[in-house]
Amino acid sequence: MTMKSEYSPTDKASRWPILFLLISGAVWLVLAGIFGLIASVQLHSPDFMAVCPIFTYGRTVAIAETAFVYGWLANAGLALALWVLMRLSGEPLRAQNWALGGTAFWNLSILGAVIGLSLGDLSGFELLQLPSYLQLILFFSYAAIAIPGLLAWSGRLRRVSFASHWYAAAALFLFPWLLSIAHVMLFSAPVRGVLQPIVAGWYAQSVWTLVLAPLALSIAYFVVPKVTGKVLPSYEFASLGFWCLIFVGGLTGGRHLVGGPVPAWISSLAVVSCALLFFHTFVVLLNLRGAFTAPGVAVKFIAFGIAAYVLGAVFDTVTSFHSVAVQTQFTYFDEAQKQLALYGAATSILFGGAYFAVPRITGKAWLSPLLVRSHLVLSLLGIMLLVVSLASAGAAQSHDLLDASVPFATITAHTRDSLLGVTAAQFLLLLGNICFLANFYGTACEILNISQPATFSPSSAMETPAS
Amino acid sequence: MKNNVIFFLGLVSALAISWAGIVLGSNAQLGALAPFYDDSEGAAFPQRLPGVAAQGQLVYRDLGCAACHTQQVRRPGFGVDKERGWGDRQSVARDYIYQPAPQLGLSRIGPDLANLADRKPTALDASDLYHLLYAGAPGMPTYRFLFETRTLGVGAQASEKALKLVGALEPKAGTEVVPTPQAESLVAYLLSLKNPYTYPEAVPFTPTAAEGENGGAK
Repeated sequence: MTMKSEYSPTDKASRWPILFLLISGAVWLVLAGIFGLIASVQLHSPDFMAVCPIFTYGRTVAIAETAFVYGWLANAGLALALWVLMRLSGEPLRAQNWALGGTAFWNLSILGAVIGLSLGDLSGFELLQLPSYLQLILFFSYAAIAIPGLLAWSGRLRRVSFASHWYAAAALFLFPWLLSIAHVMLFSAPVRGVLQPIVAGWYAQSVWTLVLAPLALSIAYFVVPKVTGKVLPSYEFASLGFWCLIFVGGLTGGRHLVGGPVPAWISSLAVVSCALLFFHTFVVLLNLRGAFTAPGVAVKFIAFGIAAYVLGAVFDTVTSFHSVAVQTQFTYFDEAQKQLALYGAATSILFGGAYFAVPRITGKAWLSPLLVRSHLVLSLLGIMLLVVSLASAGAAQSHDLLDASVPFATITAHTRDSLLGVTAAQFLLLLGNICFLANFYGTACEILNISQPATFSPSSAMETPAS
Repeated sequence: MKNNVIFFLGLVSALAISWAGIVLGSNAQLGALAPFYDDSEGAAFPQRLPGVAAQGQLVYRDLGCAACHTQQVRRPGFGVDKERGWGDRQSVARDYIYQPAPQLGLSRIGPDLANLADRKPTALDASDLYHLLYAGAPGMPTYRFLFETRTLGVGAQASEKALKLVGALEPKAGTEVVPTPQAESLVAYLLSLKNPYTYPEAVPFTPTAAEGENGGAK
C-alpha cells in the first residue's frame, strides 16, 4: 500500500490509546477464530474435545462469540471511532489516560469473561454471554474509553457535524445505556419468564443496530470520501438514514421470537421495523456507492462490507416474515445471517478502516504488502464460504426439520458436508487474521524503533512520507 | 446537525422509545401473569420446579445446552412441532413464569425439549437420559465429564445408580460408571420438562380450510 503524506502531529499525539485498542482487538480476533474453529469442528464431529468440560460445544460457541463481539468488534470499532472523532476535531485526543485505563480494564474483563464462560458461567442470552459479575466493570471501562471520543465530538472545530460524527457518537453513548438496562433487567432484578428472552432479544438487536453497525458505518463514512476524493453522493439523505437506524433499529428486537411464547405484536413490530430499516440501508448504499469503484485494499474491504450490510438487511427482512420464518427459524440459516452481519459487514469494514488508519497513526506503511494481500484474499474467500456453507446447511436442515418423519440422525448426516465447508471457512479466516495480527504488530512495533538507539529526535520516516 | 444537546436528546429518546415499547410494553402485558387455578383439578398450573430440577436448569444453562436445543413448541400449523411429537399445544408465556432462567433457545440442531418428559407414546426415563448423556447420539456430543468411573472394592456391591452399559461402552471389570450430582440434577430437570395442562390461551389453533390449503402446499 502506498500512502500520501497525511501523517499529522495530531495523529502522533493521539496514537497510543488507538493502537492499544486495535492491537487488543486483533489478538481477540485470533482467539475468537481459534474457538470458532473448534466449535465448527464440533458441529460435524460432536465428540471433538468433548471430554473436556471447558470445550463443550455450548461453551466454545459462547466464548467464540464473546471474544469476537466484545473483544474484536468493540475494541477495533472503538479505536477507529476515536480516531475518526480525533481527525474530525482537528486536535489531539484529550483525556487519553481515560481511554488507556478503560481499555486495560475492558480487556481484563473480557479475559475474565472468557475464563468464566469456560468454567460455565454462561448467561444463556445471545450476544450477552458476559458473566454478570463483570458487566459493571465493562460498563465503566466502555464509558471511560468513550470519554475522549465524546470530548473530541463536543470540542470539534466546526459546528456542523458529519455523518461519521453521528454514528461514532451514537455508538459511544448508547452502549453503556444498553448494557446497564440489560444488566438490571436480566441479572440484578431479573424479569419473569419469557420477558427475559424478550429483553435479551431487544438487547441483542440493539447492540447490533445501535453500537456495532454504527461503529462500522462511522469509519466507512470517513474513509470512502477520502479515498474517492469526492463529496458523498446524495449526502442530504444521510441524516435521515442515521435517524432511521437509531429510532427503528431497537424495534427489530423481536426478529427471532416469531411464533414463540411471546405476544405476537413483538414479531409483527419486528417485521415492520426491518422493512423500515431498508430506508437506512438504501441511504448508506447511495452515499457510499463510490467505494465499489475506488482502488485500494482498504476500500475493497469496505465495499465488500457495504455489500454484506445491504444483503444482510434484505435477508433480515425476508426471514422476519412468518411464512419464511417457519422455514428458516432455528436453523443454520440464522447463524449465516449473524455471520453475514458480524463478519461480512462489520468486520470487513473495520478491516478496511484499520488498513486506512494504521499507516496514518503510526507514520509507517504496512510492513508487508504480501500479508495485506493474503489477508484480503483469505478474508473475502473465508467470509463468502462461511456464509454460503451455513446457508446451505440451513437449507438442508430446514427442509428436513419440516418433514416430521426425518429423524435427527438423518438431518445430521445431510448437513455434514456443508458443515465441513464451515470448518474450512473458519480455518481460512483464522489464517487471514493471523496475517493481519502479525502485520499489524510488526507495523506498530516499527514506531518503537527498537533496533535503533533511543534518541529524542523523531525518526526520518516521520518527517518524510512513507511509501 | 449542529446542536449537540438536541442530538443527544434524540439518541436518548430513540433508546427510550424502543425500550418502553418492547420491554415495558411486554412487561405490562405479561409481567403480572398469574398461575392458572383449575377448580376441577384443585391445583394451580404451572407448578414450581422441584429444587433439584431448578438446580438442573442452571446446569443446562452452564453447559450451553440451549446452543442446540430449543424449549418452545410452535403452534400446530406453524412448523411440524406437533407432528414430531414435541407437544400437542403451543408453548405459552404462562408455562415459563416459575422458571428462574427460561431457556427458549435459538437453534434446533437437536430436538426441542419443552415437553421432553411428556412425549407420547413413551418418554425417555432417567436411565435413558443418563445413557444418552454418557454415550451421545448422532450429532450430539458425549458428556463423560458428568460421570465418574469408580473402582469397586473386592466383593463390593455395585451402586444402584451405576449405568447399565453394554458393548464397547461397558466399563472394565471391577469398575462402575455413576452420574455426578451435576448429572443427577440435570436429569431431574430434563424429567421435569412437561407442560401437561392446557391453558385457555393455549388451545390449539385450528386452521380454517383456506389456511389449511396453504399449509399443505409446503
